[in-house]
Amino acid sequence: MIQAIAPFLLIFPIVGALINGFFGRRIQNTGGPNKGELVSGWIGTLMSFAAFGVAIALFLALRNDYGPHIVTLFDWFNVGDFHVPWEMQIDRLSSVMLLVVTGVGSLIHIYAIGYMHGDKNFARFFTYLNLFMFFMLILVTGSSYLVLFVGWEGVGLASFLLIGFWFDKNRKIDGVYEGVLNSNASRKAFVANRFGDLFMILAMSLMFWTFGSMQFEEVFAAATHGFEAGDKSLPLILTLITLFLLLGATGKSAQIPFFVWLPDAMAGPTPVSALMHAATMVTSGIYLLVRSNVLLEIVRESGYELFGLVTTPELVAMTGAITALYAGLIAMTQFDIKKVLAYSTVSQLGFMIAAVGMGAYVAAMFHLVTHAFFKALLFMGAGSVIHGMEHGHHHLHDHGHGHDDHHDHGEADGHHVVAAAVHGHHDESSHDSAVVTHTAAAHDDHADHHVEDDFDPQDMRYMGNIKKYMPWTTTVYIIGALALSGIVPFAGFWSKDEILAHASFNFNGGDGGWIFRVVTWLLTAAAICTAFYMGRQLKMVFFGHERHEATYHASESNRHMVAPLVVLAVLSLLGGILNFPYFSEADATASLGHYAEPYESCGDGKIRECFSGGHGDSHGDDAHGDADTHAADDSHSDDAHAEDAAHGDDHSEAHDYGINLALEHWLEPALQSFELTEEHIVHLPHTAQSVQWRVAIQSTILAVLALCASFFFVYRGFNSESRKADDIDPLFTVPILSSFLTGMQRLPLDTLYMGVLRPIFNAFSWFCGIILDWDFYHDFVHEQLIRAPYLWFSGFVSKTLDRGLLDGGLVLGVGKLLRGFSGIYKNFQSGYVRNYALGLFLGVVGLVLYFILG
Amino acid sequence: MDEVTIGWYIALAAILFSMGALGVLVRRNALIIFMSIELMLNAGNLLFVAFARHLGDLDGQIWVFFTMTVAAAEVAVGLALAVSIFRNRDSVNIDDMNMMKG
Amino acid sequence: MGHPIVFLILATVAVFAAIGMLTSRNAVHSALYLVLNFCTVAVFYLVLNAPFISMVQITVYAGAIVVLFLFVIMLLGADQLPKASSNGGLQYILAIFATAGLATALILQLSGFGDGTAKPESALDASPEAIGTLLFQDYVFPFEITSLILLVAMMSLIVFKAQKRKKQDG
Repeated sequence: MIQAIAPFLLIFPIVGALINGFFGRRIQNTGGPNKGELVSGWIGTLMSFAAFGVAIALFLALRNDYGPHIVTLFDWFNVGDFHVPWEMQIDRLSSVMLLVVTGVGSLIHIYAIGYMHGDKNFARFFTYLNLFMFFMLILVTGSSYLVLFVGWEGVGLASFLLIGFWFDKNRKIDGVYEGVLNSNASRKAFVANRFGDLFMILAMSLMFWTFGSMQFEEVFAAATHGFEAGDKSLPLILTLITLFLLLGATGKSAQIPFFVWLPDAMAGPTPVSALMHAATMVTSGIYLLVRSNVLLEIVRESGYELFGLVTTPELVAMTGAITALYAGLIAMTQFDIKKVLAYSTVSQLGFMIAAVGMGAYVAAMFHLVTHAFFKALLFMGAGSVIHGMEHGHHHLHDHGHGHDDHHDHGEADGHHVVAAAVHGHHDESSHDSAVVTHTAAAHDDHADHHVEDDFDPQDMRYMGNIKKYMPWTTTVYIIGALALSGIVPFAGFWSKDEILAHASFNFNGGDGGWIFRVVTWLLTAAAICTAFYMGRQLKMVFFGHERHEATYHASESNRHMVAPLVVLAVLSLLGGILNFPYFSEADATASLGHYAEPYESCGDGKIRECFSGGHGDSHGDDAHGDADTHAADDSHSDDAHAEDAAHGDDHSEAHDYGINLALEHWLEPALQSFELTEEHIVHLPHTAQSVQWRVAIQSTILAVLALCASFFFVYRGFNSESRKADDIDPLFTVPILSSFLTGMQRLPLDTLYMGVLRPIFNAFSWFCGIILDWDFYHDFVHEQLIRAPYLWFSGFVSKTLDRGLLDGGLVLGVGKLLRGFSGIYKNFQSGYVRNYALGLFLGVVGLVLYFILG
Repeated sequence: MDEVTIGWYIALAAILFSMGALGVLVRRNALIIFMSIELMLNAGNLLFVAFARHLGDLDGQIWVFFTMTVAAAEVAVGLALAVSIFRNRDSVNIDDMNMMKG
Repeated sequence: MGHPIVFLILATVAVFAAIGMLTSRNAVHSALYLVLNFCTVAVFYLVLNAPFISMVQITVYAGAIVVLFLFVIMLLGADQLPKASSNGGLQYILAIFATAGLATALILQLSGFGDGTAKPESALDASPEAIGTLLFQDYVFPFEITSLILLVAMMSLIVFKAQKRKKQDG
């Protein structure tokens, strides 16, 4: 069955892409411009849903069957002994990726129907989306690094096409066409990705050179075998391979040092940001590293240190952790609603990479899945807000600034006040966040600035109190934001907490070394940043007061856009059940005890690491499962959890783990390092099986504090004149919180904040933004270290090599030679019959001479 | 030199053939080119007849008969072409017909 | 195969007639030189025991074909052509060298053909009767083909002229 249906994963999207590619424009414009766009959009969407159906079927087929299934499509190429079949590898890891890619992808397709409504290139957009799905599925299902690389490049292409989708926008920003800026952004993404790809190719070459194969199974088997046999050169080679793989992943997954393209990629339409630059494409680096878990674990086991400093898994962990914190800090300074999310994505990807580096592959995949839910939700929510703001702005223009209209939400005076506030906004902001504005402006060099009044529908400073106008969007956005911030019981809490728990567990109780300590603290700080910038965003966008007239006219988006948001909101709410931890170690041991193989006692003896020997049936892996409602009820109270865990215990004899750690059990067969650990060949760092209460409580408290702090600090004193006299901060209407906040208000916290904290924060964010990110990273590292030699080299290649040697010497030389030669030869084609006859005759004479003399 | 052999005829035919070829190659008048072609055909015919005599076989003469028939047809069509070209271009100079010039 | 003196005289006449045809500027003169050449060849045919072919040569070639030539030349008034001055030099030199080379090579190589012992004259019965018998027995199929060729030539001329007329009418 798997053999039969797996190829349809690739067939459906490419068929959709071909239909829309060849006939899309005709379909779209049937019966008038964009009259048929729904047909075109639904073709693409249904193809995506069909692929989702196949993914579900594969998932069901893999429930009792965990071995990798190799589906050979055709022979790709044969060069001598080198034989590369085009194969799909369907196993449990790729099945998870498939569900995420096709599931979230399909929802985003629906959303895009609403979002791209009226775009003259509607069909082209869906062509690209389906093309992206096609390549992403190749990437996920490839059975070798080479096939994976095809998808890897393909999604890069799709990303390039979609970031620059609006390359023909002819609005001018600072004298430059917006379309030019969009295409610059797409080129930047493309080039930055190629740097990563260079390392991928190096990794693959090294792999082929060493093992003679690029098939996952063969490479891993050869590496394991070589390691067992004690091959001396293997650690070095594997270290290099994993280093190159890491660098390849940093390109695609936007980590230090190649993260710079992702914020610029926000130039693309919002569904693209949601699909590719948040949920799926950027996670392919994590997938790559998780897929290569055997190689990483062998390096970890061998202890080979790069330059005598760190092993590559540690380097992976450090890269992820540093990126997580660094991007989190930058996100706090952004004003563009999508850029906050972009840096947040970089930060969350950092979490996943860090998890991979620490050996918490399941946690990385868990976070990948939940992140796909809530980050797609957030991006699409942001797109909905932008849509609403644009709509409001258009409305404003159509109705002469709305003074004549009666609106239920404000007096005419209010409008004037707000308008004044908008105009005074820049002066006002100068004392608060001039430097930050500068940072933002430097980053947002291609952010929208409206020609008439500098209105930018993406600038959060123009928003405020959107909750009044877009209730659905607000609700789901808050759910997404809470999930991202890691608040119980939303999905992000469980996945992020698992990573934090793993880090902390290993430095407290394991033998992980100093790296876990550093990573723990970095990730905790990054988690605080996450909560803070999401709180800041919520405050700026949805709460507070209207700061621009357009806001008054914002309206809820159409149902194509809202429906997927609601589905994703449900997933963000319930995603945690995918890998629900046990609530006490007793439960964990009791539930897993039958199969546990406690080979090593942990430092404090608190938790025993349990690796399940049997691979039982697992339920509720996906939120589509039956466990949905069951778990939703459970998540209300801890008691219910305990009961549930106990309940799971009863069933444990029937190889039923219940919903606890479903994802872990699901992925175990696909991650060979688990098996190798059982065989004591490598030692995977332990993951806690039950909730680490200390970590959970600590991170929850920190996240809540950061959220509160952001609500308390952000926009405080900023724009105060613009507030109407009878205004009450919406936060102060909340019963309990109001007394708390009022109490806080009376304290000299204000002074402390205005006098000390804010300048420090401003200086710090200025340092982060201008010095660290812009001056140092962009200007120095990128401009001086990377761009200048690159320009010199490309100049050398293009001017000297290409134009001088190749063009001048070869191409033009050949041309000149041919022209000279043909000038001579032209004389033969005189058009005179006797000249031709002479030629013929000479030939005859020659032949006669040859035959009679020769 | 006391007896004429087939070699003599071969030599004569070769000379006549070459002169015909030379005429085709150097003359510009289409009619004279046709005449040169007839000269070349004659050289061939002479050789046929000489070999028929040399080998004592009548087949050579039959072939001469056929050659003459074809030559007659060729001259008829060729001259018709020459006439119509002359009508179009007022010339039978083949150098005026260089539309194939590259 | 004839007396050497006869051969040499006839050969000389034939060659000079050919040279005359090639070199004369007047097309009518060329045609007359061609008649002389054909007649000489006809005498060769007689010498070579081919009386029927010889007669056909004189009737068809010297009679019909050359007369046709003369007729066309005079019809068109193309007897005196202006001297064209296009790329003559290289063409002339190459043509002369090539033809001379061909002739030399053929003579040197082939004139020693055979052992010089021709069949006796009596071996060949070339009477019109013998030729007719051979033509209508062994070669009847090629003979019919020949008639077809003549038919096609005739048709082509008719079509050619018909098109011309049509064009003029239109």
